[in-house]
Amino acid sequence: MVTREDVENIALLSKLFVPEEELDGLTKSMQEIIDFADAINNAPASAEGFDCINNLSNVFREDEVVPSYPSEEILRNAPAQAEDHFLVRNRE
Amino acid sequence: MGTIATIHEMLVKKQVSCTELTQRYLDAVEQANPALNAYVNVTPDTALATAAAVDKKIAAGEEIGALEGVPMTLKDNMSTKGIETTCCSKILTGYKPIFDATVWEILQEQNAVLLGKTNMDEFAMGSSCENSCFGGAANPFDTNYVAGGSSGGVSSAVGGNIAAYGLGSDTGGSIRQPASFCGVVGLKPTYGAVSRYGLIAYASSLDQIGPITKTVEDASLVFDAIAKKDKRDSTSVGGGNTYATLNRDIKGMKIGIAREYLDGVRDDVKEATLAAAEVYKSLGAEIVYFDLPVLKFALPVYYIIACAEASSNLGRYDGIRYGYKTAHYTGTHDMICRTRSEGFGEEVKRRILLGTYVLSAGYYDAYYKKATDLRGTIISAFNKAFEQCDVILAPTVPMTAFEKGHAVSDPIETYLTDICTVPVNIAGLPGVSVPCGFNAKGMPIGMQLIGKSFGEAQILNAAYRYQQAAPEKFRDTKWGVKL
Repeated sequence: MVTREDVENIALLSKLFVPEEELDGLTKSMQEIIDFADAINNAPASAEGFDCINNLSNVFREDEVVPSYPSEEILRNAPAQAEDHFLVRNRE
Repeated sequence: MGTIATIHEMLVKKQVSCTELTQRYLDAVEQANPALNAYVNVTPDTALATAAAVDKKIAAGEEIGALEGVPMTLKDNMSTKGIETTCCSKILTGYKPIFDATVWEILQEQNAVLLGKTNMDEFAMGSSCENSCFGGAANPFDTNYVAGGSSGGVSSAVGGNIAAYGLGSDTGGSIRQPASFCGVVGLKPTYGAVSRYGLIAYASSLDQIGPITKTVEDASLVFDAIAKKDKRDSTSVGGGNTYATLNRDIKGMKIGIAREYLDGVRDDVKEATLAAAEVYKSLGAEIVYFDLPVLKFALPVYYIIACAEASSNLGRYDGIRYGYKTAHYTGTHDMICRTRSEGFGEEVKRRILLGTYVLSAGYYDAYYKKATDLRGTIISAFNKAFEQCDVILAPTVPMTAFEKGHAVSDPIETYLTDICTVPVNIAGLPGVSVPCGFNAKGMPIGMQLIGKSFGEAQILNAAYRYQQAAPEKFRDTKWGVKL
């Protein structure tokens, strides 16, 4: 059962604001999707589990030092920047 | 038809210069795009610069490669250095990557002519392309219908002859479904065949890049070019070698039909799929029926895993490093929440919330863990199925393209359209959608050929033989460049 409080809590974890007037609608829609997802609980328990596709194994490599991207190029995409850094929030 | 092979021959025989050809495509984009809404960003300067370089090579008597000078497009979730890449989301407005996706790097080396970036459902989440912040792409067979999604723009452009081919991405059917709706060919490669470096992530264990083309041989040419091992994507293996065996005799090939794939499929689609099986019989293939009961869990498994991965992947959009940032806020947390709430569309927010829910304490075991366990079961079931057959034949989508506005109303009903495509992503297998008929209204129907892991050569071989036997299923539209 998905409650209003659940939705408020996961919205907080997801860093999303849900306006008060949308909360009931979203709770209902989440409940419908969860009911749909609940079908998997009728599935036979699997002994196999799952690690990865195509038997991939972890890939290790030497730590090679390569030139990085110039910071001015990276900063060009930032909505706000100051003194060669990302500006997280405007100064008061 | 404006296929890669036709264009290559015209360029080599100097029947047209690459610059003239590119200009024709750019003019056609200008003319058709207001109706099709396939392109969200047209790049004439990049296209014409490459075309000039190709012309120079041809004039100097140099040989050109199969993809050289061929006008094409990329879905707007593939990074293109200096060219805006938005995933059709407000949150990435203005974002210009500082690096190229590996697939684009490979194609640039082959002088591919990029006409522009194409429309998609926001962050590839959707089945109609209507979740795009630019509005959806239209179907070139009838613009009252959707192109499908999420790679709706590429499919619309290729079906509408305003690109010879394009690259899409497929997480739960996003290449095959719109290809089926738009009457073109769409290949979702084996997980790991094509590098995902520079593809903006939706669900990393399911995403794959692949070609959308007018013919099977074009899909094979493009796949062989882009399927290379890449050290920047540790899951990449490579494996593109399909062109040489396209025309191989398929006599004795065992083509399997899982009965579950035909459940709930609309009659016209079912008939077209079974008619294709008859064509295969006439080509000497053997049709084998079997059951794959675990398929009924594929859709919830897919949505749990995809949303869980998406909620993590989309955590990076915070208004600090790139893209959209809210104008008014009171503190850092408030800034990030407002940016995300204003920047993401409804479906993206819904999937982030669902993903966060299934990963949260108390629900992780019941949903996420259970879904990944079932993923193992589905993979084993496919492995077993492939002991009885070489290739699986199924519908691509249970229906044909829906009318605009229909998909937006009910999320679950929309999710159900992915029922035939998601099992392939869950199991990491290759699948190709091939046109196999038309409904009473003339809208295209697609069938899907599913192969063993890294079995692209086999499914493309089967697809090509079908195309040779049933060329009338590959119909052109009234739009775009006629060659």
